[in-house]
Amino acid sequence: MLRNNVLQEKFFSAGPICIAAIMLLFIAFVPNSALAHKVYIYAWIEGDKIHTESYFSSNRKVQGGLIQVFDPSGSKLLEGHTNKNGEFGFKIPEKTDLKIVVNASMGHRGEYILKADELPDISVATKGMTNARGVGSSSQRGVSVGPEEIRAIVEQALDSRLGPVMRELFRLREERGPGLTEIIGGIGYIFGLMGLVMYFWGKKKRKGGK
Amino acid sequence: MHISEGVLSMPVLISGGALAAAGTAAGLNKLDYDHVPQVAVLSAAFFVASLVHIPIGPSSVHLILNGLLGLLLGWVAFPAILVGLFLQAVLFQYGGLTSLGVNTVDMALPAVVCFLVFRSGVRSNDLLTSMISAFLCGLGGVLLASLMVALALVFTGKAFLGAAKIIVIAHIPVMVIEGIITAVCVKFLKKVKPEILEVANVEE
Repeated sequence: MLRNNVLQEKFFSAGPICIAAIMLLFIAFVPNSALAHKVYIYAWIEGDKIHTESYFSSNRKVQGGLIQVFDPSGSKLLEGHTNKNGEFGFKIPEKTDLKIVVNASMGHRGEYILKADELPDISVATKGMTNARGVGSSSQRGVSVGPEEIRAIVEQALDSRLGPVMRELFRLREERGPGLTEIIGGIGYIFGLMGLVMYFWGKKKRKGGK
Repeated sequence: MHISEGVLSMPVLISGGALAAAGTAAGLNKLDYDHVPQVAVLSAAFFVASLVHIPIGPSSVHLILNGLLGLLLGWVAFPAILVGLFLQAVLFQYGGLTSLGVNTVDMALPAVVCFLVFRSGVRSNDLLTSMISAFLCGLGGVLLASLMVALALVFTGKAFLGAAKIIVIAHIPVMVIEGIITAVCVKFLKKVKPEILEVANVEE
């Protein structure tokens, strides 16, 4: 009997501690996990190539995810797999709106649409620009650098500088994830639904009882 | 674990929707007035659990708690999970509205199966038996849900078969954690409010 009591006391003290531990775990996980479980893909243009980066909203890269590129009519132009950093690059197949779809494992899917007017004119790009303004005069001073080369250098520099900014912009725009508003709102909806069910059910019950 | 929109083929989506509707109807049939608040609390727990991301393993996984819902709600887990998933789809963009039916079946059917298999073990007076059953119930819920998702994906195309294995492996940490959570919850409820476990059993 006495032993039983001691045992019981132990359980009583262990229960709340376990619950508290779980609550702590929840709290510890939630900040970095508030954005879990959605797949994002971002594509940007570098020269005549398109680069894509895919990641879960928990900021984990999608490794070995299947990337497929479609034209507006829905026919597949090309496909490939992401590397260890979630990246996949390919040459611009043609100048149309491109729908880039990533299929991560477990049925996760994300897509990104690259508009035709964002793409550089392929034919012009390969021939090289002829109307680079203002650079001709400086190139005449000694070192002979053609307008195409300057254009390529400028473009490269701009790409490398702007790339991270563009990606950051994309993240800000897309990756808001569920915030506190959505979480509290969802719980509120559930309890509101409970209230509705109980209200109408209770009304019926009272009527039925009489 | 949520299957996104545009992944599954039409027949899979439709049969998933039909099964979910049948399960929900069965659940609502079993629901009685006094249990509505309990269902709401567990539905809310399910809704929030998907935000608890587990940073172990190669992919993006989170808690599901379907084993716990099944244990405490039985067939009523269907409507509870449906409501939770609907709000996750609308507010978090997890899963999607067209795949709502499939996702509901993927998580609620394992919950009911675990309930039927483990209820007597959990109700046992022997604490150890009860806790082990609860652990297995939590673990089994996630394991079966993983297999259900894999099954839905395999129907869509053979290319997903490899991914099926990945799903189960990726969820091993979740299985263990949910097993522990379920066991702790059962232990706590046995002390504080044992009738919750009993009622769920009578209800079936």
